[in-house]
Amino acid sequence: MKIIACYSNKGGVGKTATSVNLAHALARDGQRVLLCDLDPQGAAGFYLRVKPSKNLKDDRFFKDVQRFTDAIRGSDHDRLDVLPANLSFRDFDVFLARMKNSRSRLKKALRAGGGDYDSVVLDCPPNISTLGESVFRAADAIVVPVIPTTLSERTFGQLLDFFRDNGLQKKKILGFFSMAQGTKTLHGQTMARMRAAYPKRLLDVVVPFASDVEKMGLHRAPVADFAPASVAAQAYDRLGRAVMARI
Amino acid sequence: MSARWFVVPGQRPLAALRALRIGSNRLHPAPQAADGPVVLFDTFDGQVAAAGRVLLGDARGLMLLGGPQGPVWQDPAVPGFVADMADGPVRAALGGIVSPLRRLCPIGEARLLRQPLALRDDLDKTRVRCDLLALDAGGRRAVALLRAQALRGYGPALARLAEGLHALGAVERLDAPGVIATLFPERQEQFARPAIAMAPDTTAFRVATDIIRAHIALARRTEPGIIDDIDSEFLHDHRVALRKVRSVLSLFKGVYGAAQTDDLKARFAALMTRTGRLRDLDVYLIERPAYLAMVPETVRPGLGLLFEAFAAERAAEHRDLSDHLQGDAHAREMRRLARLFDKPDARLVRGPMADRAAGDFARRLIWKRYRRVCAIAASIDDRTPDAQVHALRIQCKKLRYLLEFFAPMFPTAEVRPLIRALKKLQDVLGTFNDCAVQQAALAGRLQGLEAARGARKLEMAKGIGALLTVLDQRQRDARARVVASFAAFDAPATQAGFRALFKTAKASA
Ligand SMILES: Nc1ncnc2c1ncn2[C@@H]1O[C@H](COP(=O)(O)OP(=O)(O)OP(=O)(O)O)[C@@H](O)[C@H]1O
Ligand SMILES: [Mg+2]
Repeated sequence: MKIIACYSNKGGVGKTATSVNLAHALARDGQRVLLCDLDPQGAAGFYLRVKPSKNLKDDRFFKDVQRFTDAIRGSDHDRLDVLPANLSFRDFDVFLARMKNSRSRLKKALRAGGGDYDSVVLDCPPNISTLGESVFRAADAIVVPVIPTTLSERTFGQLLDFFRDNGLQKKKILGFFSMAQGTKTLHGQTMARMRAAYPKRLLDVVVPFASDVEKMGLHRAPVADFAPASVAAQAYDRLGRAVMARI
Repeated sequence: MSARWFVVPGQRPLAALRALRIGSNRLHPAPQAADGPVVLFDTFDGQVAAAGRVLLGDARGLMLLGGPQGPVWQDPAVPGFVADMADGPVRAALGGIVSPLRRLCPIGEARLLRQPLALRDDLDKTRVRCDLLALDAGGRRAVALLRAQALRGYGPALARLAEGLHALGAVERLDAPGVIATLFPERQEQFARPAIAMAPDTTAFRVATDIIRAHIALARRTEPGIIDDIDSEFLHDHRVALRKVRSVLSLFKGVYGAAQTDDLKARFAALMTRTGRLRDLDVYLIERPAYLAMVPETVRPGLGLLFEAFAAERAAEHRDLSDHLQGDAHAREMRRLARLFDKPDARLVRGPMADRAAGDFARRLIWKRYRRVCAIAASIDDRTPDAQVHALRIQCKKLRYLLEFFAPMFPTAEVRPLIRALKKLQDVLGTFNDCAVQQAALAGRLQGLEAARGARKLEMAKGIGALLTVLDQRQRDARARVVASFAAFDAPATQAGFRALFKTAKASA
């Protein structure tokens, strides 16, 4: 089982759009996927029409295996389940460790409750400073949407520094360009510069700025569900394959 | 998260489901509906339905409805004998409920509408996925099943949907015979074993006549299956039906006039003579794998040759019999016999016992027969000649027929244990007899080989020889169990049961 975190130390860059569409792409590819909505705003759950669960506000949540598995909801999409938002992060590191341990009670409960997952996708909120490190350690990949602007370039550099300074594995970081606009010269220049600077840390995937992604809120569904042939859906598909190729 | 299955009542199940309100949740049909012809299958005697299942096949696969885990599917195929079917969950389930001797045949055609539905909430989120399977045989003969499975975490939504369905009158148990009866009412008659109504004060004449009429009809119904060679059980059932007729004629003494009885006995005996050889050959071929397994490997090829000869003989015998069954003479004789029992008062000569009350008549016959079984059994020890054992077997068989014929007049709970006890004893006696009969037949076969010559003959002779040895051993084993089996049958509870039900005041005097 692989843990894939969608993370950025910057807000509004497309983490939620990425985690929903990435999870959906992996599920369409045949994987059993659990999307964990770690953002208290519950945006990922919103796109999948899953109401936040009351149970989840409890502190004991991550320690209590039964409550955890009971909180999982099947989405309308085959093989894609959701752990809705509104949880407390106190014991999130414990939860992640258990997800990784195949003999833990959590894993047994997941298997009993309809199967274990091939991938767990985490939609991280923009400010998870306290959580950050445990997510970074547990995850197999940290997928980072990067809007090709100078500001994003700087924050991406800061993330890599943080990994180096804290002895974290830099190779887990998989950046890709998000909301890229081909018409903007600035975007093109930034992408070229960053690819030269971080050749190994950037996937060869560009998710363009696309109105289909914005329409997700209207349809309350992943892009590939209502616009399967769209450029955006294809880009998320490529992202899924590129991430899986790295882990 | 297993699915739940509901039988949805009414002529318009889809409309009823769409109108259902479960809080803010409603059932919405999904666009991928499929509609096409299906064939329902069962054995001639309805073993699948009797086990609470319904077997359907269409271009998409074989589906077995009912059962503890709900329906199972496997790849499309025309089912026949279970042993010949491709491996899969349907075959595995059928293996436990269908006799290996019975072939699954089409019993009717219907249209199957498969309509997926989703129970969605106010956010249009699916909570429960459903599949409506509506079977329609035309003319308002329809049955609808709904499969409902909650998405993960939506168990409570399914529970509320179930409440709503129950309120519509839906049930969660598949009544398979009911489904067949609804879709194919004409089929019902064919399934049914003859159930003969009788009361203690019905006349013996009436009971005998009713039993015979029902069994003539049963014998007739098996004929197409014999002709088409669907499976060996058609002929077996045919013979059992005729044998029952003959045992009524011989056991219900004095119900018909003497000359009438003799004439009927001769005519039914003649009917059975026609089928005897084919049945013997069927039995050999059914036993083929068991026989081959019993003898050492070295003689199996020889025995295989013997079975090839049996198979060839059987093919010829079957051709002859089907010609005969399709011929005018047979049809005329069956029609004539049936007619006699259709208007018995006008056409049958009554005997001195005709007007006896069936209750007394039955008690007297059964008690007498039971006493005779006990008397013969009492004379048997481990050294008694085989003839006595055969005599015991025949008496047991007669007692069994009497018990079964008259069972409807006695409390089921009291008769059934007696029949069961008798059946155990009969099993041992039957094995003993089968081994004896087969040894005699094979010995005759061995003699017949004298005429043949060459290596083939030698091989066959070796095979038969080995089989004779095994059958002899089997017969001895059965013989050794006879005394103990009777002792078990002779248990105080069984004795008391026979006495309480059948011993009349007069007989005890
Ligand atoms: N490729 C894209 N093209 C067009 N619009 C996009 C694209 N990706 C995301 N958006 C839009 O950008 C906005 C922010 O995206 P999203 O919520 O996914 O970002 P986020 O990083 O999760 O934000 P937050 O930090 O608030 O959690 C949303 O309105 C979304 O519809
Ligand atoms: Mg977000």
